[in-house]
Amino acid sequence: MNAPRMVGFVLGGLVAVAALLAPLVLSGSQLTIYVLLGTAAMVTVGVSLLMGYAGQVSLGQAAFYAIGGYTAGLMGVHGLPTVAGLVCAPLVAGLLAALVGIPIMRLRGHYLAFATLAFQLILLSVVGQLEVLGGDIGLQGIPRLGIGSAQLSNTQSYAWLTWAATALVLLIARNVITSRAGRGLRALATSEIAAESSGVPVARYKLAVFALSAAFAGLAGGIYAFFLGYIAPGSFPVLLSFEFVVMAVVGGLGTIWGPVVGAAVITVLVQVLNSLGTEPGMPPYASSVFSYAVYALLLVLTLLFLPRGLLPTATEWVRRALRGREPPAAGDRPAAAVPTGDASGSPAR
Amino acid sequence: MSAFLTYLITGLALGCSFALVASGFVAIHRVTGVVNFAQGTFAVVAGLMAGSLLGRGLPHGLAEILAILLAGAVGLVVGVIAIGKRGTPPLASLVITLGLGILAYAVEIIIWGDQPISFQMVPGSVDIAGAPILRQYLVVIAVALVTFAGLGLFFGRSYLGKALTACASNPYAARLAGINVMRMGLLAFALGGLLGGLAGVLVTPLQPVAFDSDVALATNGFAAAIFGGLNRPGLALVGGLVLGVAEAFVAGYLSGSYQTEVALALMLAIMIWRASRRVSVAEEPA
Amino acid sequence: MLEVTDLVVRYGRATALDGVSLELAPGEMVALVGPNGAGKSTLVDTLSGIVAPAAGRVVLRGRLAQVPEGRQLFAELSVADNLALGAWRSGRGRAGRDPARVFEVLPDLRPLAGRLAGTLSGGEQQMVAVGRALMADPDILAVDELSLGLAPRVVADLARHLRELNAERDTTVLLIEQNARLAFDLCRRAYVLESGRITASGPCVQLAESPQVARAYFGGTTEGAGDPVPGGARDP
Repeated sequence: MNAPRMVGFVLGGLVAVAALLAPLVLSGSQLTIYVLLGTAAMVTVGVSLLMGYAGQVSLGQAAFYAIGGYTAGLMGVHGLPTVAGLVCAPLVAGLLAALVGIPIMRLRGHYLAFATLAFQLILLSVVGQLEVLGGDIGLQGIPRLGIGSAQLSNTQSYAWLTWAATALVLLIARNVITSRAGRGLRALATSEIAAESSGVPVARYKLAVFALSAAFAGLAGGIYAFFLGYIAPGSFPVLLSFEFVVMAVVGGLGTIWGPVVGAAVITVLVQVLNSLGTEPGMPPYASSVFSYAVYALLLVLTLLFLPRGLLPTATEWVRRALRGREPPAAGDRPAAAVPTGDASGSPAR
Repeated sequence: MSAFLTYLITGLALGCSFALVASGFVAIHRVTGVVNFAQGTFAVVAGLMAGSLLGRGLPHGLAEILAILLAGAVGLVVGVIAIGKRGTPPLASLVITLGLGILAYAVEIIIWGDQPISFQMVPGSVDIAGAPILRQYLVVIAVALVTFAGLGLFFGRSYLGKALTACASNPYAARLAGINVMRMGLLAFALGGLLGGLAGVLVTPLQPVAFDSDVALATNGFAAAIFGGLNRPGLALVGGLVLGVAEAFVAGYLSGSYQTEVALALMLAIMIWRASRRVSVAEEPA
Repeated sequence: MLEVTDLVVRYGRATALDGVSLELAPGEMVALVGPNGAGKSTLVDTLSGIVAPAAGRVVLRGRLAQVPEGRQLFAELSVADNLALGAWRSGRGRAGRDPARVFEVLPDLRPLAGRLAGTLSGGEQQMVAVGRALMADPDILAVDELSLGLAPRVVADLARHLRELNAERDTTVLLIEQNARLAFDLCRRAYVLESGRITASGPCVQLAESPQVARAYFGGTTEGAGDPVPGGARDP
């Protein structure tokens, strides 16, 4: 193991341990942010895989977050074991994604972006009209997660649950990335045609990543539902989907830790500005203006100036500092923030 | 019968407004290969601006024109950021325009607040074959038809229009011919801004506009635009009309709450149908 | 007419052209031959101002128009529009865009004027590409892979047109070819470009006899002439 990798492992380990211990010292509202950050990171890992590895942008990832939430919530309010709800949340989300994905994953680039957005808008509208799901008012009184009489009652326990789920998601993502299929997928993000001609089953891989990313979102949605005890169509606005894309792009696509960094940076920044925006003397719209501006500026500036995202860029700096100014090895290059695709219109020369 | 006629004309007008938003998508995509997610933003900016200018006592006509020009300027700015940096791939440009759309939320809320606004342009209604039709609908239809005729002439007949088309058709050859592809792209963004602004100014009297109305406007416009593969203004008009009439009939005869689903489902169906027709084709033109 | 001195072009870390020098006198018809990936297209793109050189000098007296490899037509536009756009740089007056002067040289284009460029055959497309370049009223015509993917009969016809242009209108021609047989047939002088360097140059008669060139280019596997690659424009 070379020095930079070692540093990476140690850093990753430290972050994991610090995150595990953090719930002991955080206050109530900080713990809530901790849980929301964790769920955002889980969804973002999926978005990042999808964008960085399958070369596809999903603008409707919050739909699967919602599906997970509603699956868990519905099973909960009907008295089914909550643990079963938590297990079913990612399964249902993944399964639905696989079904929806069969037709729509054949679309490319901007068509898929709009298709996923349309899917979410349709889903929200349908959910808002279904009595079983509580319509626009939503599902209320979702029980706490627990087995038998043992319940996760305090925020701290949800923080640890989130930690464990995030760790699971990261482990799965790591296995996918380092597997043979993962290498095929990387080829896919750079050039679909090249990947196809070298024998990578492009369509099946894309569908699999889509379903997996939806499952991650579903798991996060399940935790969210049990944690808050209340969900409604309004909990999953289109803007939430955009936020996941922002987090993925800012953190760095196609990396394992990038989404976590992206989710953390943005969640914390938005929280800080939020408290600033609710200071006395601030106009009532200040906090929403701040959060829109943060999402937008981080997204645009990252795409223009750090197209690989925060984490890979920072890693590169560290690497250079450790090795002197030696150029990076050719194989190390992480995927660009948004896959260049073959759609640039420039002739192959 | 008169209900049918009302729905039909309402649908046609609705469709024309979708088509106007679509025309902006087409103008930008046809030249740059970029799908501009901020297309709805242009309409929102123009609608809000026209509202506040009219509120300050500017006369009709002037207020609308200033608002449309503002939208054109916003279009140019979006273009500079989205494609001004050489080597930005189209999909990155799409995500950048998405980001700029969100940034516009912040700016719009600061300037105009977060409540929807509306204004009257041509009040009242007329009777057509016994069906009461809002005059504003007729204005929308007339302006849309004139605009599309103009666009058709511009892209189909004028030298500049052909040079713009050449940029997306083959950017490399366009550069060889001495066409400044970047400048043409920015011109297209400005044009897209003007067209979006026109749509916004016409729609606001029918349907109050708030900072976050852009997503609905953009998805409907995109749905209309894909009828023509994002490149053909004429087909985008047809797409808009089909979509508008379908929505109006669903809202009239079934329920208003299914309106969105119909439009979105239609859009998905068209995209999937188009994709299935080119299984062996390597890439959609960018 | 054209003088290139020690030209270096890099794409990122890769060097595409490494100290290329060549010279064209007015009215000359010169060939540039070399295998795939030698840097031929990079060289023309640099002459056209599309690619910026890292070092070296290009002195161009007059206007250069390029007939790019693979025709590169505007597939969605008509032949007449393709031709008209060729005149974009030189002047936008109505007279400047009138393709009549190209129809005089390439009369076969006249009946095609209303057709969409993407629907033409490979040979027809190549002729449109030549016509579009001529619309710029060039002093130098750089033709990149004239023969690629075309039937020998079509290539012969196009070659005849080029020879006429050169002989009757005094247009200087730089012919970039993989098909060395064709290039040596048409031109009196040639350069050989390999891996970004000029490895040989001189009169075609001598070059054709040099064992190195003979082995590389006349060894029986001359690409291009009968190549079955369909001659479509860029994928629409």
